[in-house]
Amino acid sequence: MNLAIHNLLQDKLRFLLSVTGVALAVMLILFLLGLRAGMFRNAVIYLDHAPGSIAVMPAGVKSTSAGAGQFLSPEQVADVASTPGVKSATPILLTMAIPELHGQKELIRLVGYDASLGGGPWKMAEGREPTSDKEVVLDRVLANRHDFKIGDSFQAAGHELKVVGLSSDTSTFTGSYVFARKTLLESMVLAPGAATLVLVTPTSSTTPAELIARLGAVPGTNVLLKSQLMSNDQDVLAGVLDQVVYLMVVAAFIVGALVVGMVIYTATNERRGEYGILKAIGARNGTLYRVVASQAVIAASVGSVLGVGFAIAMGSVVMNVKPQFLVAIEPTQIAVTLVAGLVMALAGALVPARGVASLAPAEVFRR
Amino acid sequence: MFRLAVANLIQNKTRLAISVGGIALALTLVLFFGAIFHGAQGRLTAYIDNAGADVWVSQQGVQTMHMSESALPASVVDEVEAVTGVDQAVAILYTEGMVQANGKENIAYVFGVPPGATLGQPWHIVDGASAPGPGQIIIDHAIASRMGVSVGDQVTALGRQLTIAGLTSGTSSLVSAVSFVRFDDFAQARGQGQVVSFVLVKVSPGEDPSTVAARIGGQVSGVTVQTREEFASQERKLVSDMSADIINIMNTAGYLTGLAVVALTIYIATVSRRREYGVLKAIGVRNSRLYQVVVVQGLISVGMGLIAGLGLTLLLSIIIPRFNELIILSVSGSSLLQVATVSAVIAIIASLLPARQLASLEPVTIIRKGG
Repeated sequence: MNLAIHNLLQDKLRFLLSVTGVALAVMLILFLLGLRAGMFRNAVIYLDHAPGSIAVMPAGVKSTSAGAGQFLSPEQVADVASTPGVKSATPILLTMAIPELHGQKELIRLVGYDASLGGGPWKMAEGREPTSDKEVVLDRVLANRHDFKIGDSFQAAGHELKVVGLSSDTSTFTGSYVFARKTLLESMVLAPGAATLVLVTPTSSTTPAELIARLGAVPGTNVLLKSQLMSNDQDVLAGVLDQVVYLMVVAAFIVGALVVGMVIYTATNERRGEYGILKAIGARNGTLYRVVASQAVIAASVGSVLGVGFAIAMGSVVMNVKPQFLVAIEPTQIAVTLVAGLVMALAGALVPARGVASLAPAEVFRR
Repeated sequence: MFRLAVANLIQNKTRLAISVGGIALALTLVLFFGAIFHGAQGRLTAYIDNAGADVWVSQQGVQTMHMSESALPASVVDEVEAVTGVDQAVAILYTEGMVQANGKENIAYVFGVPPGATLGQPWHIVDGASAPGPGQIIIDHAIASRMGVSVGDQVTALGRQLTIAGLTSGTSSLVSAVSFVRFDDFAQARGQGQVVSFVLVKVSPGEDPSTVAARIGGQVSGVTVQTREEFASQERKLVSDMSADIINIMNTAGYLTGLAVVALTIYIATVSRRREYGVLKAIGVRNSRLYQVVVVQGLISVGMGLIAGLGLTLLLSIIIPRFNELIILSVSGSSLLQVATVSAVIAIIASLLPARQLASLEPVTIIRKGG
């Protein structure tokens, strides 16, 4: 171990650069995983805060990820609300709009709700909830980005919307939530009385399973647990996101292994003479492998720990500068990344270790 | 000096290969991410480009299709058709929905098109019928193969079981795949009265689409009217506006990693040649000349890394669609130019560290120490 540390620290700047290289690769891996986790959490942020434990949707619809192509009719909404065992039923109409604000297209996720039944903003930062079909509660991050204040107006889907309140925790990478009266959205999508879904809370004497079975009798509906709906929404996101994220994680991993490999290779090569002497006095290949591998593990360990710090710092900077991004770095991801760093080190040590193994002691002395 | 720089770099070929590989992968990260977005952007306007409409009429304030909803009263179709210069007006229904089969699901642009209409119909059919019949759907063959279904099989879309009548090609990406059903089937699934999403307009021969678009805008209320080019351009702007932040973040991370790899490579290459540099200094070569050698080494390493990174990205753009046709990679000229420029800057910055070492080099000491 002493020899390994000595070899590594023989050139401190080289060691520093290699540690930085590994740290950046680890940072990239952890940041990507954190960004992915943040996107997954954000994808269900509305449902997570909305009331109810059961969701009733039009037949065949399993997620809210897609657009508002299908609706529950007012009759279906009424049937759901009057089903025995329903404590409360909250009809929600969801749609999307893309207003152009200050020359930039912004995706807004419009939530139409009835204030008396719930489903509106869960954390008001300022102002009040809408009381007319010309008023909205705007996500605070979007408002800040475009310098909107309470009382300002903007155009969306052909409607002039006045900002009467600002909500917190409603900004996501794939759009900002804007809350309006359900009747406003009905007029936007030309679907009076319609709902995208009804969120249902069972009475205390009814289990969710019992109620799901009863609600299944309402024709033309798909009834599922809200948690299942959230999971379906995340699955849709995973289908779009995961392959790209994992390809990039693999690339970052290989970069890290190459950095470790380059440094250990150089450090080993420079000390060929010493390794030759060790072999000549009887040191086995296994001992020399351990020296080389120890160097790689030390460089990768220091780099990985630094990389975790970098990733947390980068996540914090990104979330401050662009609050619509949530970078959720979780302990399990950190553990996975640290293990990846170790594997990176061992992969990077392969080539130098082979070099040491093939070293002929006599040849080194001849030189 | 150039020859010395090259000699220094290739002195140890394994190290050069490792460093070029590291730089290439770091730059591939940047190119790859841009290529994913550029590829998706190219497919995004597939329907707009191929629907055959010169002018698109949508709900007032709706300028795009992706992640957008447009709802117009059906009566708008007759109003549009009555405008001078309009040859045909075809109403379509549209939503971004899911197509599901065998436990797999895909995000899809679902279009409801009237039977026999000359605008908005499927194109590039690779199997089966060229238009959906009642209870039928036409989907892209990429999502069909992902779900393990073919012509004659059933999928769920718009909340109902539909039979695949035909398969199209070249319409799918990670975020969308164009699918077609009968207008009536769509209207029935949507419910809620006589509503259409868009009106597709073919202008009369000799008429200018922009002029006709302006006329429609002036005569029909509650609508947004755009030529095909304007509509496609708004669609592209939407994707670039939405993806700009994430691309910038990923680029920064990729460039930083690349910078560390290049700096490490150049540093190691320079330090291992300290003795030669000491000799050069001893015989009177100025620091500025030695800096040039180091910078040239940096530029050569980065140039090789860039070429290898571009090659790798192009290779991925061929290989990946073979496994997943929904991922289309397309390297844009502007992205390549940006990466090349930033890489050159990275090479120069990375050369600063070893250059400082050279400046402080004591020729006599080095030679006496033997390197």
